[in-house]
Amino acid sequence: MVDALVEIHRVLAPGGTLVDARPDSRVLAYAERRKPRGFQRFGVVKTSRLELANDRASDRAITRVVRDGLFKRRRTGRFWHRVPFGDLAELRNYLREHLRFVHRAKWVVDGATRKRHSNDHFVIRRAVRYELLEALRSPRNISPARPRH
Amino acid sequence: MPMSCVAKDSVGDLGRHVPALSSSLRPRPHEELREWGGSPLVRGKRVLDLGCGDGRLALGVAPFATRVEGIDPDPEAIAAAKRNARKDGVRNVHFAAGAAQHLPYPDAAFDLVILSWTL
Repeated sequence: MVDALVEIHRVLAPGGTLVDARPDSRVLAYAERRKPRGFQRFGVVKTSRLELANDRASDRAITRVVRDGLFKRRRTGRFWHRVPFGDLAELRNYLREHLRFVHRAKWVVDGATRKRHSNDHFVIRRAVRYELLEALRSPRNISPARPRH
Repeated sequence: MPMSCVAKDSVGDLGRHVPALSSSLRPRPHEELREWGGSPLVRGKRVLDLGCGDGRLALGVAPFATRVEGIDPDPEAIAAAKRNARKDGVRNVHFAAGAAQHLPYPDAAFDLVILSWTL
């Protein structure tokens, strides 16, 4: 991952910008029912362990190229994004097949409520984080990879 | 294979094992661009969309940019991106298959590199 960031630094003009945007696994996602006005929370959805590990590795790679002087952090932020589903079954199918999330939501409403609204429209509301980094002209020496224990 | 091994392998080969994500499940390009700072971030710039998939974001920022290159390890996604570019009549975007570790571009070729749901 670091080698890709070094390659990005090579093709970026000095002072150029790198945008790193990805789902924010540090916060929960939510399964919500669409109401005539607004949304009702039906459950929470955690990120899978594999994706959490991948996200931490990405964070470490960014931290390293910043430490090595290739990039300078300019701005970070987060926004929320809704993925729509026609009904509850469609949302469940999505979770079963999707790699990023665990395969089941943790419901915060009872089974009768879920059944009563199973044909309503649903969304998964999840956070997207982004960071803008500036390519610096003269990187310091790239530090060697540290062995993992 | 233990999960930790899977994680280590997949993150060590950025862009090689992860298939292009479905565009329909992601924010619209103008929504993402607005959050990052809006069209001034892209206007008049040479842009590289790394992990471009079917070209969703590259085509979304193309109207503002001087030139956009999209690269993705999935040849099928690149074929779809080219189809989408033809369909939309976008002429300042080029797509190519390739990995992030060996970019086929000269030094300092871009003003902006976008890693959207790629890293």
